[in-house]
Parts: sequence; structure tokens; C-alpha cells
Amino acid sequence: MTAPAGAGQAAEAAEDGFDHLIHAPARLRICAALDPVREIEFGALLTLLDISKSALSKHVSVLADAGYVTQRRAVRDTRQRVWLHLTETGRSAYRAHVAALRRIVGDGRA
Amino acid sequence: METNGRISADEASAALAAAQRTRSRVAWSGYPAWYWLATGAGLGAVCYAVLQPGWWVVPIAVVFAVTSVLGARAASRARGVREGCQRGAMTVRDQLVLGGPAALLILAGAVASKFAAWTPDVAAVLVFVVFAGTGLTLSARAARP
Repeated sequence: MTAPAGAGQAAEAAEDGFDHLIHAPARLRICAALDPVREIEFGALLTLLDISKSALSKHVSVLADAGYVTQRRAVRDTRQRVWLHLTETGRSAYRAHVAALRRIVGDGRA
Repeated sequence: METNGRISADEASAALAAAQRTRSRVAWSGYPAWYWLATGAGLGAVCYAVLQPGWWVVPIAVVFAVTSVLGARAASRARGVREGCQRGAMTVRDQLVLGGPAALLILAGAVASKFAAWTPDVAAVLVFVVFAGTGLTLSARAARP
């Protein structure tokens, strides 16, 4: 039984740290924003990334489904706010992805 | 946008640049103006105390340390960004850009006061202006789309 044509490539990509799920521009920026801090409030991330609320919700859901991001609800100033946190799995995947990008840039210039 | 297969070096470079820009925006944007002004004023007070004879610097430095922690927590709530004690969006370079000139001014002021007529209030005002000016400028720049 032979593997599907794309499976080898995907496995290779996963091995070298390149993560197709993170590489989508908005998701890469969400991870880049969450990586250096403990958590960011949804509204603050919306302002930082300058994207629509629905787009941010969609990308956060994808990252949450993959176990890369968790959401915490907290009430402040009588309003419920959602805080987003990059899990250790997400942080490892993001850093491996950034390392893979650096290798691609290095290989391209070599 | 989903991506499939290998990407080019140019695309990887663009992705890295986007990630770096985002990190920089997290580091600098969203700070309320009072945070830079209050922290700059505190550093100015520390500088003033350093240049005074006696032990004024100790209580003033302690008060500054406590209030700067409280101020940082209040600014963090206002920004909607929670940074840990050991984890923050500012890189070492960012911290040097922000605090380096003020620290140099305090040290230079302490040295200059031994050899020349260097008044503490001028040094304190300079430290305040340099720190608050750097913070306000870089925050405003990061907030631009």
C-alpha cells in the first residue's frame, strides 16, 4: 500500500518544524503576539493585529482546536472579556515553525 | 489562507518580518501616556536622590521600585496584555533603547557631579524627558498600522 502523494511532504514538513496550520498569515501573527507574553485580551489582540473580529475568532478557533491556544473568560468593569493564552504545545510549534522559516531563508541565501 | 508544500525563501523572509513586526507592536503599543510620564518622573526622582548627599537614594529607590511594579500592573490591565516577571515582549535591545540613555544619564550625572558644577535638578529633568520621550515616541510609532 502506497502513501498518498502529499503525505511524505507533510511528514517531512512536520519533522523540520514547518507548521502549515501556523503559517497562515493571521495565525502566524496571533502566535507571534502570544508567544512572548502570558496572555492577551481578545479586544487588545484585535487592535494589535488590525483584523476583523470574525476573522480573529475564526483563526483563534482553529488554533484552539489544534490545542495551540486556550481561552479564559473573566469579568472586568462589568464586562466579560476573553483572554487568549498560547499553550506549551502551541509555543513549541510556533518556535519550531520560526526556526524552520529561518532555515528556509538561510538555505535560499546560501 | 492555507498553505501547502514548500515555500520560497522570500515568502519565509516576509513571514519572519511579519512575526517580528507583531512582536514589536505587542512590546510597545497600548501603553497609556501616564505610564511613561509617571515612570520617567520616578526615574528622575531616583536620579535627583543619587546626586544628593546622604542616604536619600535608598528610600526613594525603594518607593520607586514598589510604585513602578504597581504602575506596570495597572498599565498591563489597561493594555489588555499580561506579561510575566520573566516573560515580556520587549527584547533586550528594546529595553536598552528604552532604559539605556536614562541609565547613562544617571551614571554620567553622578560622575560629573564629582568634578563639575552639575545640578541634580537638571539631571533629573533630563532623565525624565529622555525616558518619557522615548516611551511615548516608540509607543506612538508602534500604534501606527
